[in-house]
Formats: sequence, structure tokens, C-alpha cells
Amino acid sequence: MKNITVKYGVDSITKQVDDDFTFGDLQDSDTFKAALGFGDRTKALVEGIEQDRSTVIPAGATVRLETAANTKA
Amino acid sequence: METTEIIIKQNGTLTERVIRERDLEAEQPVLDALTDGVTRIVRNVLSLPDWGLVHAHAGLNDTVWTAAIGRIPLNARFRLVDGVLVPAFASAGDLEMPLVWHAPEEVRVAFAVRTTSDNGCVRVDGNWLFACDQDNRAYRLPLPNLHDDCLVCTGNFQDRYDCAGDAVAASLEQFRKSKWNADLMRTAERSQKFFRFRPTNETFTTLPIQAGDWTALCDKVSTNITERVVL
Repeated sequence: MKNITVKYGVDSITKQVDDDFTFGDLQDSDTFKAALGFGDRTKALVEGIEQDRSTVIPAGATVRLETAANTKA
Repeated sequence: METTEIIIKQNGTLTERVIRERDLEAEQPVLDALTDGVTRIVRNVLSLPDWGLVHAHAGLNDTVWTAAIGRIPLNARFRLVDGVLVPAFASAGDLEMPLVWHAPEEVRVAFAVRTTSDNGCVRVDGNWLFACDQDNRAYRLPLPNLHDDCLVCTGNFQDRYDCAGDAVAASLEQFRKSKWNADLMRTAERSQKFFRFRPTNETFTTLPIQAGDWTALCDKVSTNITERVVL
């Protein structure tokens, strides 16, 4: 297990997750969604750099989630 | 310039130290690189007729301007349901009216404009509409013509101006006169609980939002623009 901190806007949460927990797992996690209020379309950034969904989140990392822009319907 | 120092160490050894200095003449590029992400908030930069004060969040490459507008012009189609006028954005048959929705105190409506410099002009890179709570959480209002990140779909828009004041004023004017249609529409139900009007004599009064917590009708958003909204 490892700790990660996730920020969405002014809200943040620090939580213990499995060692193989990826950025995609975070973006799909109902637990984090409920706690922070983000939706289905997000991008994950670490130090301002967008991360691939399949990348494992490093222990102790602070992940910033942002609302991803959609294209015009 | 070269400086030579002779040092006597504690063990008695004499050591020569030569220091050579030269100016690299790279002050500005180094400063620019070091301050690339540094931004600064400047309040009350502009005062626009009808809209009020505009604050700036200035970065090295762009500026995000925020007007706390307090109202939203809704040039849209409306339908009367149980004596209450509610928007019917997707409707073709209902009456089109230019109503103005006045935000209650707990909903802080922010109109943001990002500008950049472009060949001596100021270019508008986008307009965003946010609803913010008292703790500065930002939300997407239940309106069409708004992308997920609250970027306003403005259609064709003159985007180059002589100065930032003109750019922000033109963005707000475009926002004021735009018609709201069903593009990017999600659910009409949320819109109709949020934007409600009662016909009274010759005017229309904004009714309270039909929800205990107005944020339940919105989607929380977080972007690099929300981070720079100044209210």
C-alpha cells in the first residue's frame, strides 16, 4: 500500500491505495469521485505534467486532477 | 575579472585560490525562465459600464481577467410551467425572450477572459463562465453552450483588440447579446430548476433556485483557468 494526495480545485484528499494503483484507476475511482466531486472526463497532472492513464502513481505523489475539455457536440 | 586569494589553512598549508568572474549577459532569459509560472493578482484593474470591476491574474505569457457579473443574460426560448417561466433551450415553438437571471448571494458568477499579446494586439483566447461558492469552488452551470471546462461557445467572434480593456468589454458584450441554443445541452431538468422567473406586471422576477443545495444542479470543475479566477 502507498499514500497519495489528490487535489481537485480547492479540495484535496490523502488516501492509501494499492501499490499498482494507476492514474487511470484514480480517474475512474468512485471513492475519489465521491470525495472530490470530479466527473468522468478528467486529466491527471503531476507537477503540471499530464500523466498517462496506465502509469502507476508513485508513492507519496500529489496528483492534481483537472476537468478535461470536451469538443462541441 | 580575476581575483587571486592566498589562504592559510588550519594545518598551515598555503593555498592559492583563483576566482574568475565574467558577466554572462543572460539576465532576462534566466529571469524569464525562473518566473515562467509566476503569476500575480491585480484587483480593480478595469471598471466596465454595466458590469463593474474586473480583476486580473497576470502571468508571463497571458492574463486571465475576471468580472464578477452577478447576472446572466439569457436570450433563449422560455416555457411557462405552473406559472413559472423556465428555459426551453431545445424548443423551436416556445417564445424567445431576453430575460436576465440575477444570481442569489450564494452563487458567485464569474466571467473570465484569457488574453495574450499577439503582434502588438491583444488577442482573446477564450471566455469562461463559472459559478463559484463561498469557498471558491468552481462549478459548471446547467446551461448549454458551455463546454465541460466552462469555456463559452461564442461562435464567430472578433478576437483581436488594441487593448485588454477593449478585449474584455467586447467579450462581455458578445456574452450579453448571444442567444442560448441547445448546443452542448445536457439535461433541461437541471436548467429549469436553476433558472426560474415569475412574470410580474411588466417584468420578470428571478425566482430562487429549486434545490436545497444549488451545487447539486451543477458539475464541479477544476482547470488551470479556475485556479486563476479572482473574485
